[in-house]
Amino acid sequence: MERCQPRDRRYRRQLLTAALVYVGVLFASVYLLRTVAAEWPAALRALLALAPLLPVGLMARAMVAGIRDSDEFQRQLQLEAAAVAGLVIGLGYFSLALLAKAGLLTLDPVATAVWVFPGLCLAFGLAKYWLGRSYHE
Amino acid sequence: MKSRLRELREQRGWSQAALAEQLDVSRQTVNAIETGKYDPSLPLAFRIARVFGERIESIFHDPEAA
Repeated sequence: MERCQPRDRRYRRQLLTAALVYVGVLFASVYLLRTVAAEWPAALRALLALAPLLPVGLMARAMVAGIRDSDEFQRQLQLEAAAVAGLVIGLGYFSLALLAKAGLLTLDPVATAVWVFPGLCLAFGLAKYWLGRSYHE
Repeated sequence: MKSRLRELREQRGWSQAALAEQLDVSRQTVNAIETGKYDPSLPLAFRIARVFGERIESIFHDPEAA
């Protein structure tokens, strides 16, 4: 098994911690919005609804630090993976929009929008794995 | 670009991971350079040359140049 460099361990630890905090905050936010916060003023409900953005910000910070710490080849790999992920998700959503416009598909705009960011993250991870393999022997 | 990186590394009995650690890059990066799928930047090429105590041009060469 490949040995993990200290900066990789730090990156993974920071990303995992932020992801766990995100899951916790997301569930807490949804639960509170459906229960005790149902009668709160709109501004407070908006803050509560946007609370998961804080751990997402921590995840983004860990990702940026991870990219800055990586070597030149890894940066190239990440740049290519980000481009592929943006293209795949962008074209995927564009295709869905065309199908919906033609009346062939019914889309819930909120549910669709919620999956854009997780979709990008997933596509980035898969693209990085695939590109990494293509550079391998 | 062709390189003698694998040959030099194996002469010294180093694993890709050991060389990667000395160069402060990932093992995947060493592998990509060895297989000719990635051309290192000039600063990294200098680091590689320093680690092996060789000149850059004795490690890397462009097959189309000669």
